[in-house]
Order: sequence, then structure tokens, then C-alpha cells
Amino acid sequence: MGIMDYFKPVDTWAPDKVRQFLNEVSPQDYNLVDVRTPKEYEQGHLPGAQLIPVGELESRLKELDRTKPTITY
Amino acid sequence: MEGGIRAWNGLRAAGPLDAGMAYFEPAQKPEEMIALAWILEEGACKFYREMGKRHKDPDEAALFRELSDDEEKHKSSLFGIYRRRTGKEADPGFPRSLLSLESGVDYVEGGVVLNTALDWAQGQELKDILDFSISLELNAIDLYIKMERKVEGGEAKEIFQALSNQERNHLKRLTAGLQKDW
Repeated sequence: MGIMDYFKPVDTWAPDKVRQFLNEVSPQDYNLVDVRTPKEYEQGHLPGAQLIPVGELESRLKELDRTKPTITY
Repeated sequence: MEGGIRAWNGLRAAGPLDAGMAYFEPAQKPEEMIALAWILEEGACKFYREMGKRHKDPDEAALFRELSDDEEKHKSSLFGIYRRRTGKEADPGFPRSLLSLESGVDYVEGGVVLNTALDWAQGQELKDILDFSISLELNAIDLYIKMERKVEGGEAKEIFQALSNQERNHLKRLTAGLQKDW
């Protein structure tokens, strides 16, 4: 048994795949979350991204629709 | 999204991306979970200690040193839980024999080999090191919340809750560090 048997991989998408997804799917059908700092968000973010800084993620999870796919960066 | 906003902008992404991302799969025995948590605390402790040595700015070095000291205390708490659950005052097999892991290899969260993380950190900016540290803490919080749910016994639950609260505090300090002008 190796260390990775204790972990489960998280699906990560390349930027091109994210771009394609955002172009093809209506914003009502996914959660797009920017987990960086407010300052970084102000400097530039993906269109329509919701700002939830990583430190607030746990307490603000209810703001996300768990029935929809969630993309974070 | 792989690489975060920097990849999106077409700039070279930083971070040990080849290690991928992973989260703890909780379907394990409580003793195995405690042993795994101890190993990950040990890895984080060594990572922060090394960062404390590499960073010459006194405030940066102090931040990493304090985080490392806290993780050291977490190891003691975890072994305390293990001891009380098993009734063994000392167990030379703890923690590695419980997980059948290769000896001499240290790991951090996500199953990343510590030396891989330390090699990556060479020459990285403080911001990237803080980003990586935040991912360590987030995974630790996730692990302790799951362990708190899984273990029986009030004392063990309380300790896991305390550990997840302490890791939350680390998260706050690291995210504050990201916003600070060093």
C-alpha cells in the first residue's frame, strides 16, 4: 500500500478546457469561484467569477449550488 | 483549474503541478488515520522549518518557525490520542508500520514527497510558498474535520476539533501573509 492509496485525486482541468466549458455552458449552470485575495481579484479575474477567499471558503460553502459543477482557481 | 489564474493568463504557472491535487479518502481505520495525520504533520513541520531557515527576513522566518513549532505540538497530540486508544504507552511501529509506507520518505498533504516540495520551493517567491502552505493547511483542516466525524469518544473528537481550529488559525495567518507587503 502506498501513500496515494490514502488520497483521492481531484479532477483538474487545463485552462483551454475551462475556456471551452465557459463558452459552451450557461453561467446559471455552474459555480465559478475565485479563491484568491480581494486585492488579486480586483486586479483581474475570470468573467463572472464569484470571490470567496480561501480563508472564508468553509463558512461560505452554502453560497454555492452543490448540484452544479464548481470550478475554482 | 490547473495552474490557477497565471495559467489562464498564459504565463508560466508556478507550483508543483505535476504532483496533482488530491484529497484525503476517509474510508480508513481510525488508527491508520491518526498515523497518517502524524506523518503529514511531520512533513509540514519539516517543510516550514526549512522555509524558516531559507527565508532571511526576520518576519518571514518567524512565521514559518512558529508554524513549524505548532505542527510539532500537533504530532504530540496525535500520538496522545493513539496511545489512549490502543493502551500502548510506546509503540516503535507508530506511525509507519500502520500504513506500510516506505521508510525514510517524508510526505506532505496530497501525498506529495517532502523532498519534491522542498526542491520546488528553491528560488520560489514568498507568495508561491505561501500559496503552497495554504494548500497544506486546507487539506489538514479537511482531514481533521473528517477524522472528528469518524472517531468515537468525546476526547478524541475534541482533540480533532482543536487541531482543525488550530489549522484554521494557520490558514488565517498565511492568507494575511499573502496580503501583507513584506
